Amino acid sequence: MPGMEVLTGAIIYSNLLVLLAVGLTLAYITTAVPNFAQGSFAVVGSYTALTIYRLFNLHPYVSLPLAFLAGGAVGLASYVFVLRPLIRRGATVVTLMIATLALDLILLGLRGIYAGYLGKMTGSTCDMFMFAYLNYNIFGLPSILVVSSLVIVLTFGVLFTLLYKTKFGIALRASMENPALAEIMGVNVEYTRMFAWFLSGALAAMAGCLLPFKQEIVPATAEIIIVSIFAASIVGGLNNIYGALIGGYIVGMSESLVTYWLSTIFGTGMLVYSKVVALTIIIVTLLIAPQGIAGIDWRVVRKKLRGEVKA
Amino acid sequence: MIPTGLIQNILLWFGMYLIVSLSLNMEYGYGGIPNFGKAISVIVGAVVAGGIMTRILMAIYGVKGGIGGFSTATSVVSDKVTAIVQHNPLFGLLLFLATIALAIVLGCIVGALFILPSARLREDYLAITLLAISETFTMICYYDQPIIGGYYGVSVPDILGFLQGSNRFLFFTAIILVIAFITYVFFERLLNTPYGRLLKAMRENEDVIRVYGRDIMKVRMMTMAVGSGVAAIVGVLLSYFTLSVQANSFMITGRTLWTFYPFLIILLGGAGNNRGVVAGTFIFVTVMEVIDFYKSSIVATLNLPVEAVWLEYILFGVMMLLILYYKPEGLIPEKPIITAPIKKAYETRKVVLRGLRKEE
Repeated sequence: MPGMEVLTGAIIYSNLLVLLAVGLTLAYITTAVPNFAQGSFAVVGSYTALTIYRLFNLHPYVSLPLAFLAGGAVGLASYVFVLRPLIRRGATVVTLMIATLALDLILLGLRGIYAGYLGKMTGSTCDMFMFAYLNYNIFGLPSILVVSSLVIVLTFGVLFTLLYKTKFGIALRASMENPALAEIMGVNVEYTRMFAWFLSGALAAMAGCLLPFKQEIVPATAEIIIVSIFAASIVGGLNNIYGALIGGYIVGMSESLVTYWLSTIFGTGMLVYSKVVALTIIIVTLLIAPQGIAGIDWRVVRKKLRGEVKA
Repeated sequence: MIPTGLIQNILLWFGMYLIVSLSLNMEYGYGGIPNFGKAISVIVGAVVAGGIMTRILMAIYGVKGGIGGFSTATSVVSDKVTAIVQHNPLFGLLLFLATIALAIVLGCIVGALFILPSARLREDYLAITLLAISETFTMICYYDQPIIGGYYGVSVPDILGFLQGSNRFLFFTAIILVIAFITYVFFERLLNTPYGRLLKAMRENEDVIRVYGRDIMKVRMMTMAVGSGVAAIVGVLLSYFTLSVQANSFMITGRTLWTFYPFLIILLGGAGNNRGVVAGTFIFVTVMEVIDFYKSSIVATLNLPVEAVWLEYILFGVMMLLILYYKPEGLIPEKPIITAPIKKAYETRKVVLRGLRKEE
């Protein structure tokens, strides 16, 4: 049985993955681009929190709204200045994916320069950092567990209200389901896309703001985390926002718990194989149910199980 | 006056990047396979040189892991082998060729297996899976120390141990350029066959290929096997040139150097066209090496508290976006294929047209 610490760690990690995967899925639904720069969007949040902490000595939790805005700005700018011009030129999906790889590289370069300046300003290195020592306990629970869970509840609460209770939400869902038809009905699909990319960057940056409580931020952080983000989105279904919620928990929990379980059998050497779990999840999902869990038609599955339909 | 050091660096990296880019051009430019995991094949080559060949040599010369672990053992055996090469250059050559042969074989196997889970997928899912596999493999090589020494890296023997300093550099550059030339001829001949045209047809429309009875999965697997086998050579060259294998360096720069930059090269030069790739490689490598050569003065002039490498990333990222936007066909656009029967058909048409005109 894994200890309490392993379990809470797994939940925290899953919460952050959900935030990252929701953003990725949102951008994919609206613009059909798998965004390889999603990990870098998270790093924007990490550095926002670090800057506020180093310069004003404010706790990273306080920086969450600011990270939200900073990440949102980067997400929006990525769409408006990089992807939209290419989409208007009729670029293929591969071209758009290459563009997000380029974007990721640009953000990696900017991160390096920013870290250099911040390091010079504050007199200590900013290339690698952690916030784990800033964690405290609320009612016997690690504060990061409480905060990250609250962020999830809040995000999905707001998202649900927005999508199902407001006129804008209806327009949003319409343009996700069928952009051409929505456009005919007078919905400006462009706004939907801009909104999706803003939210995508903003949610990722909130996750990035909390990520240093869980793992050290290094120059390669964006690269390390991208596999898990894609795994979460794909297993849930790239075409469904709630899929990201399911997928985030499946991938986050299995990455932590499966490797923990393997390490109790084969020794701690197995801990480095956590990403292999995420990769296996991607491959298995794509082979069995490419639409992801949210895309599975359970009626068909039940029929198949009863042997009524031949596979 | 251009410094000779700069010219030597340009030639060396021109050769390395040409090999990888030509192989990616077959996969992506011809076959339309978005291989976002190109880096894996280069790393496989490095694993062959640093993780497999070193172990074989350790077994031959009876060097044990010992207290310092694998990393230290490789430096002991590398010194030993380098000393042998100093007296016996032929041994160095054989070792080099054996490593390359092994890298090609393993590269082919990894390439074929690597696309297996995703060969039936649509291009976006395919790209994601290939990138994820490559990134995961890189991370394992870094975190799992026994493979290639992880953070500490491993040493490999100097296959040119009988040469010193600038002579070694020149000789190595010559070897790389020869291999790059052979690669060019190989791909030119391979792709000027029905197979090359099959790849282009697959890129344009997979359904048409299926209608003509070809198995997309088989074609993709074969293409990836050949492409990865060729790119694995570069991993070997890289290791023997630097005399070490650093998983550490692949961790941050693997995807940038060996996936993104080759894509930049073929899009700059012109995808689906080997001459364009040569031009693209030359321009890209020249820019990269000029930045590298003058980086200290660039950083000093701009008064930056940071390394020039971050500026390089931004520059190449922006360059990619500009190419995608303004010149997606590249500097030398792909030309229509004119095979002998098509040529004949054209000529017949000309003759007929001339005849018609005369009748008028």
